[in-house]
Order: sequence, then C-alpha cells, then structure tokens
Amino acid sequence: MENAKPQTLSLAKRGFNFEIIMWFYTRLSALAMYALIIAGFVGAFVVSAQTGANLADIFRWAFLPDTVVNPLSAMPWAAVLTRLMVTAFILVLSAHGVHGLLAILDDYFTTPFARRWFRNVIIAFFLIANAVAVYVIWIAT
Amino acid sequence: MGLSRNVSLSTALRYKGQAPMLTYWLHRIGGVSLFVFFILYILALLGVGPVNALFSNWLFQILILFFALFHAVNGMRITILDLRPGLILHYRRAIRIEWVAFFVLYAFALIVILRNALGG
Repeated sequence: MENAKPQTLSLAKRGFNFEIIMWFYTRLSALAMYALIIAGFVGAFVVSAQTGANLADIFRWAFLPDTVVNPLSAMPWAAVLTRLMVTAFILVLSAHGVHGLLAILDDYFTTPFARRWFRNVIIAFFLIANAVAVYVIWIAT
Repeated sequence: MGLSRNVSLSTALRYKGQAPMLTYWLHRIGGVSLFVFFILYILALLGVGPVNALFSNWLFQILILFFALFHAVNGMRITILDLRPGLILHYRRAIRIEWVAFFVLYAFALIVILRNALGG
C-alpha cells in the first residue's frame, strides 16, 4: 500500500452533485474553523492583556463558557466583530457537524426510509440550533 | 453505494485495520462527542446551571479535549491528504506525525486543566 500510486479523478468525471459539494465543504469548513479558532485566540490574548487573565484561563474559557466566573465574557460579546466571528463559527461548525453526523448515520441505517427520516431530523435540528445560537449571540447576551 | 452490509459486529471488531482504522474510529467518536458538546454549549449559553457545572468538571474537560483535539488534528491530516492527493503515498508517516502533534497539544491541554483543577 505504501507504494501504491494515488488515483485522482477530475471533477467532470466525479460528477458535480450535492455529495461532492458537501465533500468539499467539509474539508474547506475545517480550514475555516482553524482560521477562526486562531483569530479567536489572538482576540482572547488581546483581551487577556486588558483583564490580566492568565494563559490557563484563556484556553479554558475559549472552549468552556462559564459566564458566571469568566472575566473575559464581559468584553468579547460587546464587540460586533466578535459576534460576527462567533456567528460565522457556529454556522460553519454546525453545518460541518450535522453533515458528519449524517454520514455516520448513513453508514449504520441503510434503509431509504431511515436515511430520509434522519436527514429531515438533522436539517430540523440544524435550523433550530442555529436559531437558538444566533438569538443567544445577538440578543440574549 | 450498497445499502446493506453483511459484516457482523464480531467480524468488525476483529478487523486489523491498525493505525488508519484507529484514527477512523477516534475521528468518528470525536465527531459525535463534539456534536453532543455543541448541544451542551448552546444550553450553557442559555444559562442552564447543571451544564456549567459539567463544564467545570476537570474529568469532563480532559475527556472532551482528548476527542476535540484529536478530531481537529486528524481532520487537518485528512484535509491535507484529500486536497493534495499526491501526499497519500505517505499516509502512514502522516499518521505518525499526527500522533506526535496530538500528544504535544494534549499534554499542554492536560497541564492547563490539571493546574486549574489543583488550584495552581
């Protein structure tokens, strides 16, 4: 296997359909998330310089929100840029996540009925979860 | 794409896929863990108290960071190999590099978590 020549197909031969679009989206959204995470950390470092938070606090609060004791929570949400970044991250992440989950479910539930049912549930979850997330980011905080 | 698989669970568990199979499974388990984490995250932002208590638990933090970091590092490898198919020749080496990168990041995360847990 180590010496096998990789085989690649042109886009024309693969066909341009929903699955191909999502295949690209899954990979490109991963890159977008890395970029947003790095930008988020840079922002957290800037805020930490103003609040005196240590490195451990930044990393913990960057991943684990605790608005009661998080001294960073007062500042990042106030900025429109931060809200836009968080919204972009949530939308990219949730689309990446639900498509990944659907790929796993498709592997284990193989009847057309089950696949259609899961697809509808996942789309409904995607819409509701993002509506809640956008509400929390822009209105409730 | 076939719609049925004639592979029993015991056969699947005996499959010797080695390192690539391990990363495949951990990536999937990590993805599902992050999906659950995403739901909890929204609940935390809505102010659901028990979820914040769960997030403050250092055992939970150790577990979720293992899966989150592995998913991120392994996802990076998959993305690079998929977008640069020529590098697939070196996929086993890529997996070894991935594990080194993962352990460096996870060791750092562990230090941060344990330092907070132990009140450092």
